[in-house]
Amino acid sequence: MSKIKVDKKSWLISQSELETWLDGIADVRTLIAPRQVSGIMLYRPVAKSNEISWKGITTGSAYAVRPVLSVKEIFFPPTERLFTIQKTGQEIHLKETYPDWETVVFGVRPCDARGAKLLDSLFLDTNPVDSFYARRRGNTTLIGLACKELGPSCFCTSVGGSPNDAHDVDIMLYETNGGYLAEAVTEKGRFLIPGGEWKETTVSPQPSTQTGQFPVPDKGKWPEIFNDDYWVKISERCLSCRACAYVCPTCRCFAVRDEVLGPGQFERIRCWDACAGENYRRVAGGHKPRAEKGERLRNRFYCKFYYYPEQYGLGTASACTGCGRCIDVCPVGVDITEVLMDLEKPT
Amino acid sequence: MSYEPRIIAFLCTWCSYTGADTAGIARIKSPANIRAIRVPCSGRVSPELVMRAFDQGTDGVLVLGCHIGECHYDTGNHRAAKRLPILHSLMQFAGLEPERFHLDWVSASEGERFSRIATEFTDAVRALGPVSWRVTPGEWQAAVESLLPPEEQDIPMTALDCSGKTDAIRAKAKELLTSREVECVIGYEVGPRGRTRPVFIYTPEETGRLVWNPDASNNLVSYLPVKLKPKGKELPKKVAVVVKPCDSRAVNVLLAENQFTRDQVHVIGVTCEGMRDEGGSLQSKCITCEEHTPVVYDTLIGEPPVKGLAVTVDRPEWLEKLPPPQRMEFWLSQFDRCIRCYACRQACPMCNCPTCLYERDDSTFVGLGIGLNEKRTFHLGRAYHLAGRCVGCNECERACPMNIPIGLLNQKLAEEIEAAFDYHAGLTVTPSPIVTVLSGEYKEG
Repeated sequence: MSKIKVDKKSWLISQSELETWLDGIADVRTLIAPRQVSGIMLYRPVAKSNEISWKGITTGSAYAVRPVLSVKEIFFPPTERLFTIQKTGQEIHLKETYPDWETVVFGVRPCDARGAKLLDSLFLDTNPVDSFYARRRGNTTLIGLACKELGPSCFCTSVGGSPNDAHDVDIMLYETNGGYLAEAVTEKGRFLIPGGEWKETTVSPQPSTQTGQFPVPDKGKWPEIFNDDYWVKISERCLSCRACAYVCPTCRCFAVRDEVLGPGQFERIRCWDACAGENYRRVAGGHKPRAEKGERLRNRFYCKFYYYPEQYGLGTASACTGCGRCIDVCPVGVDITEVLMDLEKPT
Repeated sequence: MSYEPRIIAFLCTWCSYTGADTAGIARIKSPANIRAIRVPCSGRVSPELVMRAFDQGTDGVLVLGCHIGECHYDTGNHRAAKRLPILHSLMQFAGLEPERFHLDWVSASEGERFSRIATEFTDAVRALGPVSWRVTPGEWQAAVESLLPPEEQDIPMTALDCSGKTDAIRAKAKELLTSREVECVIGYEVGPRGRTRPVFIYTPEETGRLVWNPDASNNLVSYLPVKLKPKGKELPKKVAVVVKPCDSRAVNVLLAENQFTRDQVHVIGVTCEGMRDEGGSLQSKCITCEEHTPVVYDTLIGEPPVKGLAVTVDRPEWLEKLPPPQRMEFWLSQFDRCIRCYACRQACPMCNCPTCLYERDDSTFVGLGIGLNEKRTFHLGRAYHLAGRCVGCNECERACPMNIPIGLLNQKLAEEIEAAFDYHAGLTVTPSPIVTVLSGEYKEG
């Protein structure tokens, strides 16, 4: 990922200019944008800008509305074919299948962009580099859209993010009166911006004044409370489904498997997996390292706030971007912010 | 070359397989399209086998067993006679042409009958052309928007005063915990952000957290099979559970399936005026609900509502009016959104297999990938496994983060079971008629 900082340039554009621009992009590349699909919003390819769910993301809503699934699914799809295997007699041929199309994603919220950045530390910044992820990530340009207000379950400000954080996107758009302030953040983003058509401006976006809602426990605190009864108690209601992990922008566990395609033909796929599932990491002989529900739910929180930051050198940052999706989708009301606040309570 | 369908025939080794042989010996012509698979009994043909056959590219599936009363194992063909028509209607509902799947009876001596059935079936499938069951994504994505359901009739919920019921639940829970009759009360509490959610109460002091309100939607019975499972030789302690009328039916189904015994659970039944959805309207399952008082309880809380809410809104109807290929397109577009998070399965009180058939590492019925074919097989298979067991609490659909109308499948099968067996799951402690063999007499034709 090239993240060479350029002189930040800004433009003021109208809604129709934005739409014309996106239409132009959609003509030559795959444009992915928030789109209404059977009653829910998802990042899906759009052929024209009028297919974008404008009402959901900008005009119709006072606060940030985000698609049900994060942009993770674009770089790390639910199921990905790694290679195909053709067996002819005694001969075996392997054929890798690399994704090669250029993609532009529009309407990425700062929390999602930060999620992609966090995934980079595993897939790109640690050897061996994941070539499939790298290919998709490198071919994708992110057009961010700053949030006006935090949504009802958002808490990005508490985990080090901000509703208009432009660090992890290529182009950032800020809503202004009747239009947008566009800012090129990276060289890759600058490349997409039409030369003389847009009106340049010297106005720079105001940093967000929204502050953290609650303190997040320090990393040092987590090992102390590992064996606490608290985890058993809060996990009793957990159904052990995987909704929280699959909607999360930074959950990245996967399983690799060979599937039969036809006579003598196989494929190796990798598909999402989640620590909440009962058979996660089951080994030969049937041993499950985290057999109890409490251990599995605890792992989710530890992974976000202790294991992942420790392992991939995130410093004081956590692997949670505060998007609040897991809170929205949980069928039984497990709430990550409640857990974080409980841990900060004096015992 | 003209189109020739590929047909899989599951033939019972004791009758129709020999029947096919008889046809051959008598030199009666049978179509060459039939690939016979010999099975020990037509009762062995599970829905997974049929779906797998379609998955692998067959254009039609024929199942032939012994005539009723002539089964080598006495009742194997009763199973087939009860289960396969249900599978037939499910696949038809999912958009498969009804002619592609046929169950019939052929004895070992009826060579002529075998040939006739096989020929008629093959001709019917040939006329339909190749199946669109296994599709590659992209082909169908064209215009599913036009197929979306009509706006549902929203019935706004008036806020009801639930404080009386809340107090009664708290008092009962306190009494049960103080007298140590139960170890734990599973009920509802209002969590942060005002969301009502399940809660497990272990001490009398905590009972103040329990509430009752129109958002108490979770089916708490889904916690019971695990909570009441014996750990080693130790029997778990008794548990009290707060149930709505639909949830109470789930208690009956689980009792009939021996998941726990009646004395292990104290049922606190609460009468119900319907639950709210996120938009504040009456949930769709509640619109047609006719049970407002729990069917099983030790303690009853609340008066049954004076006025029934029964409004006839037939949800699957608009779907059934669509021609089969479009119906399949609709379902595939719905299943395509699935991310296999299994929230539907985990929220379901009836889905309590230790390891789900669709999640086994060694499963040959469905891969672990999150592809369209796997998702379709999972959802249809799960719906089939719930036939005659689903109580319609619709928690699967509510739990689904991707808004897939799973409940429609269950609703359709419940209607089929009602029509065929006059049976509603969970009204009494009786197992589903399609998992039993001798109850629920089969009528030919």
